[in-house]
Amino acid sequence: MSQCTCENNDKLSHEEVMAKMDAIIERIGTSRKVIIPLLQAIQDEFNYLPGEAIERIYEKTEIDRAQLISVSTFYSQFRHIPYGKHLIKVCAGTACHVKGANNVYDSFVRELKIKDDSITTDDELFSIEKVACLGCCTLAPVVQIDDKIYGHVAPGKVGEVISEFIETTEAKEEKAGKVKEYKVAGEVRLGMGSCCQASGSSDIYNELVKKSGELGIKVDIKSVGCVGVCNQVPLIDVVLEDGSVKRYPNVVASEIKEILHHHFKSGSLLKRFKNIIINSVDTYHTDTTWDNVVWKSEAERTGLIDSFLSEQKHISTEGYGFLAPLDLDEYIHHHGFESLKKVIAENKPHQVVLDVLTSGIRGRGGGGFRTGEKMKIVASSDKKYKYLICNGDEGDPGAFMDRMILESYPYRVIEGMVIEAFATGATQGIFYIRAEYPLAVQRIKRALELCQERNLIGRNILGSDFSFEITVFEGAGAFVCGEETALIASIEGDRGFPKQKPPFPAAEGLNGMPTLVNNVETLSQIPYIIRNGAEHYAETGTENSKGTKVFALAGKIKNGGLIEVPMGISLNQIIEEIGGGVEGGEKLKAVQIGGPSGGCIPAHLCDVPVDFDSFNQMGAMMGSGGLVVLSESDCMVDVARYFLSFTCEESCGKCTFCRVGIRRMLDILDRICSGTAKMEEIDKLEELALNVKKSSLCGLGKTAPNPVLTTLKYFREEYEEHINGLCKTGKCKDMMQFVITDDCTGCTKCAKACPVDAIAYEPYKVHSIDQEACVKCGLCVDECEFDTIIKVPVKEEVYANNN
Amino acid sequence: MQITINDKTIEVQDQDTLLEIARREGFEIPSLCWSKEASHKSSCMVCAVKDLSRGQIIPSCTTKPVEGMHIDTKSEEVMQVRTMSLELLLSDHRADCEAPCSLVCPAKLDIERMLDFYDKGQREKALGLIKHAFDLPKLACEDCKAPCEKACRRGNIDRPVSIREIIKELTEEVDVANVEEIVNEAINKKLFQSRLGRFNDSEKARLKATVTAPSNCLHCACAGKSDCQLRTHATAHNIKRPGYDISSELQVMLKTKVNDTMYFEPSKCIRCGLCVYNSDNGFTFKDRGFEMEVNLPEENKKNIREELASLCPTGALYLVEN
Repeated sequence: MSQCTCENNDKLSHEEVMAKMDAIIERIGTSRKVIIPLLQAIQDEFNYLPGEAIERIYEKTEIDRAQLISVSTFYSQFRHIPYGKHLIKVCAGTACHVKGANNVYDSFVRELKIKDDSITTDDELFSIEKVACLGCCTLAPVVQIDDKIYGHVAPGKVGEVISEFIETTEAKEEKAGKVKEYKVAGEVRLGMGSCCQASGSSDIYNELVKKSGELGIKVDIKSVGCVGVCNQVPLIDVVLEDGSVKRYPNVVASEIKEILHHHFKSGSLLKRFKNIIINSVDTYHTDTTWDNVVWKSEAERTGLIDSFLSEQKHISTEGYGFLAPLDLDEYIHHHGFESLKKVIAENKPHQVVLDVLTSGIRGRGGGGFRTGEKMKIVASSDKKYKYLICNGDEGDPGAFMDRMILESYPYRVIEGMVIEAFATGATQGIFYIRAEYPLAVQRIKRALELCQERNLIGRNILGSDFSFEITVFEGAGAFVCGEETALIASIEGDRGFPKQKPPFPAAEGLNGMPTLVNNVETLSQIPYIIRNGAEHYAETGTENSKGTKVFALAGKIKNGGLIEVPMGISLNQIIEEIGGGVEGGEKLKAVQIGGPSGGCIPAHLCDVPVDFDSFNQMGAMMGSGGLVVLSESDCMVDVARYFLSFTCEESCGKCTFCRVGIRRMLDILDRICSGTAKMEEIDKLEELALNVKKSSLCGLGKTAPNPVLTTLKYFREEYEEHINGLCKTGKCKDMMQFVITDDCTGCTKCAKACPVDAIAYEPYKVHSIDQEACVKCGLCVDECEFDTIIKVPVKEEVYANNN
Repeated sequence: MQITINDKTIEVQDQDTLLEIARREGFEIPSLCWSKEASHKSSCMVCAVKDLSRGQIIPSCTTKPVEGMHIDTKSEEVMQVRTMSLELLLSDHRADCEAPCSLVCPAKLDIERMLDFYDKGQREKALGLIKHAFDLPKLACEDCKAPCEKACRRGNIDRPVSIREIIKELTEEVDVANVEEIVNEAINKKLFQSRLGRFNDSEKARLKATVTAPSNCLHCACAGKSDCQLRTHATAHNIKRPGYDISSELQVMLKTKVNDTMYFEPSKCIRCGLCVYNSDNGFTFKDRGFEMEVNLPEENKKNIREELASLCPTGALYLVEN
């Protein structure tokens, strides 16, 4: 969602607000069904939902007060109070959580002096909120301020981030000097997915434009989609005239000039000469630049990436690293829309359904239902209207596959949709994309326009008598809307309450018509199946899980990123061979797979092949494909509590077991994590978990206990330790405290670092921590060079027994 | 089509729900969020049954039969699910069924009802109840240690209602002889008793400022206690106390006047949504998850019909005598 561009909303007169409202209503419509787009437009305009604007809705549309309250308070996107000028979103996704997002949030609140009962600074410059996931898990902990994303934000760096943000927003953009253009010397490709942008690829892009101008080197600067190697970004590929590619991972702006100069020559002789002189001077003075660019061997720089890519197989991400997301000609050049042309030319819709069935592909959204079966049900209906919805409401904290595919391969998903529509007779398509993914929304909208121009969607597609329109619907922030019936309810302008199945949407869905709901990733595999044949596709994978699966590999992993692997590969292979092992040389403890619906698979079972059924057997599930690696320093009880607090907030609230049951489970977990629970409460937790799983009506409630049940199954002793007052990892703050040992040299660094002055400044004396004041942020530990600050359990007897 | 319920095979039509079919066939299934003629969405899970063919727990109130279905309505597992759903609902239900004072009165005087008459200025009626409870009303509380005043919830806020003084005042000022006796309904101690627990600070402050009846009584007793289905089912499932710590996001005893005859008390609401689904621009849901509440905007009060109160399965929405 874009930020408010108007700074003085409060100064708008009533007439002005009404005029703006009337224009919005005119543009969006007046039916009850448009309530979500309408509220989104109002919030875009006013930065929140002002009361007088809302009153206008009652006057001018069919939407009444009951519906408005019901819908606007259900979706987390909508704000009912004005926010500050800039909005700080602290990501509370899984990867960020295990890397200390709560500490980061607390640091912002302290640094900005935001009061307890408020979320906005007194000067109304900043507001702060936690968001479910920004989808940049490999850069955890991540913070977004307005449209700018900051990765690896340590609690101690919060001040820097704020001042950097203020500086850059105030600084005027430096304009690149105008230069005479010469012959194109080559191409530079730069990944511009959300993660890449978070690591500064926009700055790199600007630098490329600027420096190529300065140097008089005309190169095509091409923004390509997500490169997947999120831990190595910004990453640029230099394509030389002979077609060879030189790859530079982790580039910084100051290296750009060197890289350009190294590979390309300026078109003008004079400039070339000038460049040599300037460069040698530059080099002389800034040998760090040289150090980065030249002294690292080719293998050293790219070897890591090669191993990252070696085990992968690109189907959904076909065209990886060279396709410019919105370049339709290029997509077509690389076999794009061939599959669509093929199915339209052959004109056997039935055969397409059969092919998808034969391929064995199962839905990538979580459930793993056979895609072909769903298509068959929709195709067999003789209703006049049928809908096809692309489910891009990826709300799983710790997953960003769908975002990446939508951002980087929009045409592939569109092609998949049109093929399925042709096969099933669907008349209208809807892209349902989270509003938290602005780049994906923007690219899909643009891609649809371009497809419309070429008659790839719309009326009489490619000259046939088949017509299919596609629109975009932005989800308003509700995890439960990933569930297909809840998703449909939200398109119909309602709260995202799931409906009991049957009837399945394939029989009776949107507006009561047959509706095929497929996940983004599923759709992106369809063109491949059609082009290469179902049998060929089915060669990859295991008995019951065919093809490839895209995973967001994050957490305590050396090389995190977005990976696409053949089904059947083991988790160990993913972690060791692709991910390069656990970060910081720690031992693997478990892998959390499938987010809040999935579970924790312990290290000793990580030789399990990636497969829908094998995960289910272990009590986990494929889910949408978030893969968070947990090390020995992660507390499993804390992880379970984290996911449960997520589902507790995201539960739609309709049914008893999910609404109250999860809350009661969380109560018990809160007590366990604070060391106040009794041993028998573990059994009670388990009993509750089993009943919530059994008696909930929709997928959210049925799977929400999985993180608890799997950790109870594989890590029960950790629960017991907590009851006895010990959290070995020190993650459960209530059970531990920091103390300074007698080895303290009195260097005072800790005292200076402490944000709440819990350590008195006493040079050359052994320091001590005021436990009452301490917020346990750990900044002092990071500062101490002598490792004299240690974590100990609060309960003394536990401390004594463990030392 | 044919389906089997427990061990009985029956011929059924597919338009009825399992709940209706089972009840017709004599199998007892409790329900809260369902009402025959009203629109509803299954939510409470008190009507849970097990579909043995698929091994799943399902709500019988919305599930339609399919050929060959085998339903279990009374196994231990099913009963456990129903009991747990009731316990969970009760853990979010901060309310008193009976007023604590009435519960403990050794003379079985319905103190809360008496105070209600007193507060409405119906002193004769108040005395009528006293007359029924005591042989010698003038000596009513003479030797009593006043457990009523110790139990009084007002004592949790500032000081307990001066019950004995009020009784004394009535017996002294009103002529007992001319007052018609009113029967104190005996409190059935076998019924489930929901307990409100302690007030939090903001509740205390609010109640202190807003409850200014002559007697100071908070009127804890539930106006809907006589036909509360939550209480009936809790009793039937032998629930003594909710198995979980009670916590709620809602303020207790926030009695919102809907119109002259109707009140709404959100902390007793089980969020079944019957009042939401069956009012047009009236009640609405607000927020989601555990915090989800049923809300009635001021402007929508005019759209509420009286019949709605009878749909509420608890005492959250109730009619008052004028």
